[in-house]
Amino acid sequence: MSTTAAAGHVPVETLLAWWLHETDAAETDTVDEHLLRCDACGGTLDAIVRLGDGVRAAFRAGLVGAIAGGEFIARLAAQGVRVREYRLPLNGGVDCTVAPDDELLVSRLQVPLAGVERLDAILEFSFEPGVRHRLEDVPFDAAAGEVVYLPRTAEVKAAPANTHTVTLVATSGAIARELGTYTFRHRPWAGD
Amino acid sequence: MWRRTAPRYSLPTRGAAMLSAMEALDASAAEAPEALAARRIAAAAPGAARDAEAELYRLLAPRARRYGMRHLRDRDAAADLMQHVMALTIEQLRSGALREPERVASFVLGACRMTVADQRRTERRRIDLLERYAGDVPMADIHVAPRLDHHRVADCLDRLPERERSILVMTFYDDAPADRIAGQLGLSAGNVRVIRHRGLDKLRRCVDGGARAGS
Repeated sequence: MSTTAAAGHVPVETLLAWWLHETDAAETDTVDEHLLRCDACGGTLDAIVRLGDGVRAAFRAGLVGAIAGGEFIARLAAQGVRVREYRLPLNGGVDCTVAPDDELLVSRLQVPLAGVERLDAILEFSFEPGVRHRLEDVPFDAAAGEVVYLPRTAEVKAAPANTHTVTLVATSGAIARELGTYTFRHRPWAGD
Repeated sequence: MWRRTAPRYSLPTRGAAMLSAMEALDASAAEAPEALAARRIAAAAPGAARDAEAELYRLLAPRARRYGMRHLRDRDAAADLMQHVMALTIEQLRSGALREPERVASFVLGACRMTVADQRRTERRRIDLLERYAGDVPMADIHVAPRLDHHRVADCLDRLPERERSILVMTFYDDAPADRIAGQLGLSAGNVRVIRHRGLDKLRRCVDGGARAGS
């Protein structure tokens, strides 16, 4: 994907900014006008929008895990997305499951983040003894005092009963410091 | 900390790039395929240049639809806008009311803007216009690309660093601008745009690569 205004075309990031309503009025008018004349840029925009549709569909299907923000979860719930949420205190644990019609699983891990520069999350599952999955440099809002972790819902729905842990590790250069460990005792859905 | 560091690279300046893009297009507008088709419609007896009308529709309808998608955020409303604007444009060319046919793209843009403004004032007027003009105008099929395989997209997302994946999900799930995401992840809006740009580039290359390998 081109990232420059080569051959009189609008840069990709400008097209995306226009699509997301980040452009000011004058810039919006300019892009509007350009797109009414340029099929190359229109095609690029179509590809971006199509990719966005694919991201949305993949996420809605529970195929994508992510770290998100609390407002994002609230917006999804307000839109009617069926959210199952677990809030864990520092070093806490929870008995958890997921219902067939749940669309999104949310784990809110309470953790003091003041002064943390970089955060990694280490996942361990009882059905994979000795295997550690490390999520590096996860985004977080220190002021929120929590990490909002969204596992792949489809994967959790298919998982057998297991216990898994998430350990949050603050790193600074070569120094790593464990902030907290959270335990999920998962059982497949057994009905209401 | 990420938000305290400078972006690893900066995005190109928008204004200069846009100006350059517009100048290049203005110079060639009169000879653009849509201008040629518009001239043929205007020069013919009303309704006699059906091929040119279909050609004009094929060229300009997708562009009007993109405008509608951006400004109305609704597929059906965008399709209605496209239909209405194209019907109005061809009607104006047939009747000779559009005195500079080579400026047909500008006319379409103006019609899009007015229709969206009208639509925001009154839904009823838009439907009336559609019913009034749409009946006697040829409509060519326009190509709409099929949806991507979301399993493929999920696989490509999975290969991205956490920050890029999270920001792309939060961006596209809800068409969220950078400033709405920034505060939730402890980043500046500028950082979000840089990470988003980098992630989008990788994602597109991965998905495109998979599509080519699978074809």
